[in-house]
Amino acid sequence: MSDSTRVRLPLTPAKTPLPSAKACCHEIPQHTAGVDAAVVALVGAPNTGKSTLFNGLTGSRVTMGNWPGTTVEVSKGVWRTTLQSPSCNCETCTCANDESPLAITLLDLPGAYSLDAHSPDEQLTRGLLQDGPVSERPDLCIVTIDASRMAHGLYLVAQVRELAMRVVVAVTMSDIAAQREMSVDTALLSRALGCPVVETDPRRRTGLVPLAAAVRTALADPVPAPRPVPPTDDALVLDDDRFTWLSEAAERATVAPGNDRLTLSDKVDRWVTAPIAGPVIFLAVMWAVFQITTAVAAPLQNALDGFFSGPVSHAVTALLTLAHLNGTWVEGLLVNGLVAGVGMLLTFVPLMALMFLLLALLEDSGYLARAAVVTDRLMRTMGLPGRAFLPLVVGFGCNVPAISATRILPDARQRLLTVLLVPFTSCSARLTVFVMLGTVFFGTNAGTAVFAMYVASVALVVLVGLLLRRTLWRTMGAEPLIIDLPAYHLPTLRLTASVVWQRLRGFLRTASGIIVVTVCAVWLLQSVPTTGGQSFGQVPVEDSVYGVVARTIAPVFAPAGFDQWQTASALIVGFVAKEAVISSWAQTYATEQPAPGQTGLLGDHIQAAFVQSSGGHPLPAVLAFMVFLLAYTPCVATLAAQRREVGLKWTLFGVAMQLTTAWLLAVAVFQIGRLFW
Amino acid sequence: MTSSTDLASAPLGTSLTLVGIDDAANRRRLATLGLREGATFRLLTRTIGGGRIVLVGGSRIALSRDLVHRLRTRVA
Repeated sequence: MSDSTRVRLPLTPAKTPLPSAKACCHEIPQHTAGVDAAVVALVGAPNTGKSTLFNGLTGSRVTMGNWPGTTVEVSKGVWRTTLQSPSCNCETCTCANDESPLAITLLDLPGAYSLDAHSPDEQLTRGLLQDGPVSERPDLCIVTIDASRMAHGLYLVAQVRELAMRVVVAVTMSDIAAQREMSVDTALLSRALGCPVVETDPRRRTGLVPLAAAVRTALADPVPAPRPVPPTDDALVLDDDRFTWLSEAAERATVAPGNDRLTLSDKVDRWVTAPIAGPVIFLAVMWAVFQITTAVAAPLQNALDGFFSGPVSHAVTALLTLAHLNGTWVEGLLVNGLVAGVGMLLTFVPLMALMFLLLALLEDSGYLARAAVVTDRLMRTMGLPGRAFLPLVVGFGCNVPAISATRILPDARQRLLTVLLVPFTSCSARLTVFVMLGTVFFGTNAGTAVFAMYVASVALVVLVGLLLRRTLWRTMGAEPLIIDLPAYHLPTLRLTASVVWQRLRGFLRTASGIIVVTVCAVWLLQSVPTTGGQSFGQVPVEDSVYGVVARTIAPVFAPAGFDQWQTASALIVGFVAKEAVISSWAQTYATEQPAPGQTGLLGDHIQAAFVQSSGGHPLPAVLAFMVFLLAYTPCVATLAAQRREVGLKWTLFGVAMQLTTAWLLAVAVFQIGRLFW
Repeated sequence: MTSSTDLASAPLGTSLTLVGIDDAANRRRLATLGLREGATFRLLTRTIGGGRIVLVGGSRIALSRDLVHRLRTRVA
């Protein structure tokens, strides 16, 4: 079966060695067609069906969407073709020799309008096709161009034709062109461009046979001579030459009477990008996204949680009883470690699936590009494009899908900045702790205290964003918005389902290890006794290694007024999941967890502890604690998602930045607050 | 010959010719999208924040307010 993988790219490609189309991801040999196989690169402007074509040819799945810059990573796959079949997806090749099977390593490069390197994605495309040594370049380039916007894609064709490289042009979106009464004469265009031109529809899998034939023929032929250009380095003269060349080609080969005709998309755009209606529609869409990722996902999450803590745990205990292992450390490891860890991972599945589904629908419908126009000015103050609004809004529901939602940002540095800011958005898990502490300490003013946390969360996002923008991201240019708005269309079920599944699979693959291992590690630390006379797995928390760690860490919080070991312990567990903070207190104070809306005995314990640790200033101390809880690492699942999106180094940077911010703010809140309270 | 005006002042719904781009940094980026000096396009709508959407070569391009003031046009 064909397979593909993604190659994670350096965030600053310009400072790294020049990329090589032939050498990249050699560490995953099953995703290449062999060292001697031809390497074919798919290039083209965003939204020209490039990723769909890659999918059709390799039989694998990649991210696709109706959004400029969706392909933000290089996908690599094996394209098996025979004389009879454009793409053969057999488990193992059974083709007869007379069918001339051919295995090609296919690269899906990020969307690029040109080789001018305006964005990191274009930089990479330029690096692979132009800047690297000839021997490391692909053997052939398929350039996809949209028939309904012909002139758009031809600039890239002009530049690629100036390189010593085999080029095949794939004309896509002919159906949309036909609706607008436009047509392309591929034979005339081929003659004008000096390379084969094939009409293909990757969404309906038509035109793949002539495309495969054109690629086979071109690969068998020697590399054609590059398009002659004026002997000058003057970019303006070269540009003029390119535009004259491509205008002539487009004029000769296309009939486009309806090119400038107004469509339904234009009428819809008049509303969705308008000064008043635009933000109202945008907020309504965001509200729906927020509701679905919280209200709709919550019962599913609770059901899964109940299933794992109930029937699954009971079944494991029953099995262990049969094996006479109940009450031993084995039961602790399996029930409180493995089952709890896997259960926690799986409770995220409905939430993530819903989030990915919504993202895919917003992308594929074409609305996301309009949302970017609406929010552009607001987000620009932080150096972020308008579309960064979406992950930040989602973060108020849950940070984990919000981190994944940063994929809608085409620029790697903007993506990184957003990934670092998302954890400052106050998720619903933190809300449960805020409500409980608000009720215990502020009584009837609990609502105000909780609201203050949300205001603090927004302020943190803006202030940290501005701080990072003026320090680490100083060189990130504030480029004006220039965005190509794709035509609206109904998302197709197959594409949407495949995008959701591919993203969900990626999340589970990366997050599963971190979440399960961390939950098991906490269980292990709570099981190892530090005093004599107690056995492994049968020890009160305060006498375990975990208790000792909590006591060691607790003094760090003395300047913030909450240095009880039970509070430190709750914060350590809160690092794993904020949902566990209250249950940790209940465990360490050995009381029942109070029912929602009530504070019970546990509230009295916590109140007494804060009064004691703050030297009689419990209110500033608890506010400091709430601010710390708001600003430090949300949960391991967020870390897992961050690691997947931006790598380990930046994830650790984020953890350090959040812990520092949280501690400094908590100390400031307590020290200033105790002067007045 | 009519005098040129910036895109922000041009009437909506009209066909315009781009006569100048006072933004060297984005000149090529605009050109790759079909917006180069001499190109004819249609001004479609005004967006929130003072930007514009233009229709050029079959593509709808949204431009932010700062850029709109740097494009000189005249009615085609």
